[in-house]
Amino acid sequence: MITGYGHFVQLAESLQWDEKAIDFSADREAWPKLEDAENAKVLGLIAGFVVAETAVAGNLHPYRAAASDDSMEATFRAQARDEARHARFFDLVASDVAGVPGVTPTERRDVLRARVSPELVELFEELLPATAQRLAEDHEGLTTAVGLYHMVIEGVVLLAGQHALLETLQGLSVGLPGLRKGMELVLRDERWHIGFGSRVVQSADIGREIAEPLLEQGEAAAKAWGDLITPAAIETAVKQHKRRLKAAGIKFW
Amino acid sequence: MTVRGGTLAGPAARLWLCEPCGFIYDPEEGDPDSGIEPGTPFEDIPDDWMCPICGATKADFRELEPGEFPED
Repeated sequence: MITGYGHFVQLAESLQWDEKAIDFSADREAWPKLEDAENAKVLGLIAGFVVAETAVAGNLHPYRAAASDDSMEATFRAQARDEARHARFFDLVASDVAGVPGVTPTERRDVLRARVSPELVELFEELLPATAQRLAEDHEGLTTAVGLYHMVIEGVVLLAGQHALLETLQGLSVGLPGLRKGMELVLRDERWHIGFGSRVVQSADIGREIAEPLLEQGEAAAKAWGDLITPAAIETAVKQHKRRLKAAGIKFW
Repeated sequence: MTVRGGTLAGPAARLWLCEPCGFIYDPEEGDPDSGIEPGTPFEDIPDDWMCPICGATKADFRELEPGEFPED
């Protein structure tokens, strides 16, 4: 069972952080010393997060509008604040640490998009906006939309990417402490976002017609990072997805 | 109610909250997917067990006080 929405709003308030307060000076100094393979992997993951976080931040409003009560709406609002910060954080890393060219976040994202798989771009820039658009038109689809946003995208894709980036940072020939610090803070936020989505799913008491596609979507989406994430990490993400769905009250296994 | 009638977990099994994600461990339910049988008190769960929702560790949980159940 999962706690009520009020817990998430209080938690979010207590976890606020400022991406501009993170010291990236050591990261800027270390970045040019990364080996080519290290640079490709870290920048690839950052590119994925730039695309992903911009999309999740930009598509949450219909969820707020479809919330079933004030406390759920307040939780979506708290989450939206986090997602906007995450998008700013990864853009800041891209521009100030990795030196990605571009005057605006949009220009930098256009540069970085080439570094991520077409599957990831499709998931975040086509499937997610289409789902949000359907939700904006028909508020009845909230559970399915949360299933994609919170359970698949956040619970499988982003969580797997976050663990992969932290693991990669651990093994680099030079340290990137600012990126590590921010990534840990993003991961901390994501934990409650996933808990919140799980609570929405739990409350909906969903049946097979929603649950089975949700499982299949998770299995497919886990591969969206391409070779930036190991097969073992993908397998772990899928297992966690199944376990999470079951813990959220789905009973078809 | 926070305090549940227990089986193996005892007559006053307490609930534990995963603070990072809001999952509540109920000893009456356990976590069978992870090999934690119903009736297992939180204290008896192995230290390497992880929250089924967010993957946080056992150390991230806190025991709910009697009467405390953050439903909303």
